Amino acid sequence: MSAYIFRRLSYGLLVLIGVATVVFMLFTILPGDPARMMMGQRADQQTVDAIRKDLGLDKPVIVQYMHYLNDISPVSVHNATDFENHWFADKEKYGAYLNILSVGSSKVILKKPYLRQSWQSRRHVSVILAEAFPKTLLLASVSILIAIVLGIVIGSFTAIINHPFINRAVLLITVFGMSLPSFFAAILMAWIFAYLLADYTGLSMFGSLYTVDDFGNGEYLDLKNLILPAITLGIRPLAIVVELTRTSLLDVFSQDYIRTAYAKGLKKRNVVGIHALKNALNPVITAVSGWFASLLAGAVFVEYVFDWKGIGVVIVDALEKYDLPVLMGSVLLIAVILIIINIFVDIIYGVLDPRIRIS
Amino acid sequence: MEKPASLLQVNKLSIRFRHENAWLYAVQDVSFAVERGETLGIVGESGSGKSVSSLAVMRLLPTKQSKIEVDSIYFYGEAAHSWNDEQMRQARGSKMAMIFQEPMTSLNPVLRCGYQVAEAILTHQKTTKKQAKAKVLELFRKVKLPRPEQHFRAYPHQLSGGQKQRVMIAMAIANEPELLIADEPTTALDVTVQKEILLLLKELQQQTGMGMIFISHDLAVIADIADKVAVMHKGKIVESGTVQDVLGNPQHPYTRGLLACRPPLDTRLSRLPVVREFLENKWPGGLPEMLAELNVPQNDRAKAHELLYAQEPVMKVENLRTWFPVQKGFFSREKAYVKAVDDISFEVFPGETLGLVGESGCGKTTLGRSILRLQEPTDGIVSYKGVVVNKLDKKQLRDFCKQLQIVFQDPYSSLNPRIAIGEAIMEPMKVHGLNGNASQRKQKVFELLEQVGLEESHFRRYPHEFSGGQRQRVCIARALAVNPELVICDEPVSALDVSVQAQVLNLLNRLKKEYGFTYIFISHDLSVVRYMSDRILVMNNGKMEELAEADLLYKNPQSDYSKKLIDAIPAKAFK
Repeated sequence: MSAYIFRRLSYGLLVLIGVATVVFMLFTILPGDPARMMMGQRADQQTVDAIRKDLGLDKPVIVQYMHYLNDISPVSVHNATDFENHWFADKEKYGAYLNILSVGSSKVILKKPYLRQSWQSRRHVSVILAEAFPKTLLLASVSILIAIVLGIVIGSFTAIINHPFINRAVLLITVFGMSLPSFFAAILMAWIFAYLLADYTGLSMFGSLYTVDDFGNGEYLDLKNLILPAITLGIRPLAIVVELTRTSLLDVFSQDYIRTAYAKGLKKRNVVGIHALKNALNPVITAVSGWFASLLAGAVFVEYVFDWKGIGVVIVDALEKYDLPVLMGSVLLIAVILIIINIFVDIIYGVLDPRIRIS
Repeated sequence: MEKPASLLQVNKLSIRFRHENAWLYAVQDVSFAVERGETLGIVGESGSGKSVSSLAVMRLLPTKQSKIEVDSIYFYGEAAHSWNDEQMRQARGSKMAMIFQEPMTSLNPVLRCGYQVAEAILTHQKTTKKQAKAKVLELFRKVKLPRPEQHFRAYPHQLSGGQKQRVMIAMAIANEPELLIADEPTTALDVTVQKEILLLLKELQQQTGMGMIFISHDLAVIADIADKVAVMHKGKIVESGTVQDVLGNPQHPYTRGLLACRPPLDTRLSRLPVVREFLENKWPGGLPEMLAELNVPQNDRAKAHELLYAQEPVMKVENLRTWFPVQKGFFSREKAYVKAVDDISFEVFPGETLGLVGESGCGKTTLGRSILRLQEPTDGIVSYKGVVVNKLDKKQLRDFCKQLQIVFQDPYSSLNPRIAIGEAIMEPMKVHGLNGNASQRKQKVFELLEQVGLEESHFRRYPHEFSGGQRQRVCIARALAVNPELVICDEPVSALDVSVQAQVLNLLNRLKKEYGFTYIFISHDLSVVRYMSDRILVMNNGKMEELAEADLLYKNPQSDYSKKLIDAIPAKAFK
């Protein structure tokens, strides 16, 4: 098992390097001069040149690429002495770091991956992401939790009842839930629950995790703003989990070992809870993990409609303003999340189904 | 009203199943009884209603698709037909228990074997988990699992088929039931394992005095284990009585057919009689008349063999090895091997049937696949008509494959469920560019279908519409589509009922005569191999144990392993 995890991790690292390369290539060949975009129309050539030099844009592409990899790698090679050198180990940029090895004017250091600074706000990208990501994480986790708990319960019950009429009704509703566009669902939810029914629900149409107090007492935690976006985001995964649990359970119910369980004299709830559900959950886990990963990558529409300041909003803002470092950082973060979730899911498979462990 | 004293008495049981909009009878007016310490054998082919009847007794049939009508079921004098669901649930697993046909699918794959057995105890007895575990280990010793502690923690896929069936038996006898229903418990197992399981069941019955219902499609197995027998045909019991009476002097033509269609061990028949012939009363004089008509004199066979082995061999296999590496650790370079085929050499003569026999896992299937390079052999030479098969490149190999074809074991999984059978048979012709254009190919498929006993109208049907025997016919037709010269039959009848088995074996022999095929016939059942083959190669653990003329091997086996295989053929004593 440990060998298996180790192998998965090394594959993950390779994928990550691949993603970094592709991201870099894509954003290098994009048209547009960042220096000019930062300064606007009236910038003179000297300022633009200075900025280009500062960003390292005057160097050949291959050097820029090496420099980029060096920046995002936790172990990196730097110049130790020359302040002017582009490779200088600048505490401003890299934060606190650990010297591993010094050779002449070069040294190898251990640091946090440096995702560079926003071209717009000059803030560190890692800081921007660190602010936004917990909000997305919270939103995604709550929606997925709603989907899993409700989905498995509803799916199991409809499978046990297995009435033709209910089956058809569930299928209809879940297909509707799956195909409902999220931006439309978001607007609809906001309109119904935070506008038409606002007096009863007390919810507002938009708002993030923290709300600025009207009386100037700073920010306070406003958890009720989570309700609408979380439910909206949960609709689609919920529909999928219901349908997958239902069909998968129905399939398992017809298996021989379920008959064996009944022949043993087990009660129905034990047969379903112990024997059937554990067998039926594999496809559900696959779907849920996929959805969780994509929700973590930022549910752009929903976050935008409800003004929930997560990764999705950060990405949209960065795209609008051509803020490449923020974009590149976000994409890398998303890649890391996807890789971690995939490894995690593989491990869960092994726990759920011992037959997978050997292969 | 006086209560009957039998352990189980079933009176007039009828079962109907929903088929589209109609309710069709699967079982009609079936009555039977089992006494304590007695075994009732129920025999019949698939679809005869024998499993369904016993499932109905335990109320394990899906309630929505089935309707059960019964006059009365008395269990130990109690009216079991009037039990409510909760009473029935409490009886299941404690008073009456069941073992199923497929040990592979009847155990839950994601739960440990020990837990699954302990669950049966914890459901019906008030014990702690610790006591239950001790009890399970005791049961595992009782059913002779070699390493009880280890098997307790094992998952079903880590055990062999025989071991799984032992776990199932342990589960069934966990609460010392008074009635044990065994639904084809040995059908999916090797003959040698089958013998062990039958012995075990008998032993357990003697210890506990439980009553047993033993369901099988094979009269020979019933003869070995049962005291009474009921023969079921199309949902009705056509004959019943003691084993001696029914098997010694069968009255119903169906019973006669079932008895006769198993390959005989003492004589040679030109073809196997099939059940239908008995139902049509082809031989009013009974079995002796049938034997007189179909018997092949020993001389004819000897003469034929003289000619056969005077020829040059068509295929030579020399020192064939197929080893599978097993990686030991992540970093260790040292490799261990599973030697599936280890240094096997033999020759095949044109027109002969070479039997390949051994238990599952002995490497006989791998050997068959290695010859065709479906599995790349590690070492050794296979030559066919002077062409060295191992040296062919991909394209040459593909052309070469036209001459050699294979028929697989499981007709259920070796046909693609989404391809109509006509297409399936046509596909190899297309691949090899044979038989002209599409319409000519279609004509050829029609011919093939007729050859294997199917109809033209089957062309557009899908595999699920066919029975097991029909599917195997389709697989045979598919192998014939490219006009092969040598056909490897890999356990072609193992998944089939005895009565269907006879039909398929006859078909194979008829085709051989018509097209002059050479067969390599693989099976774990020595009686089948003996019937089909000219010579038999016995394999054990990847190695060759013995290669001899079929009758000679049966009468005078040289190796201990061959003796063991012959010993395991059911109902030897009876025949």
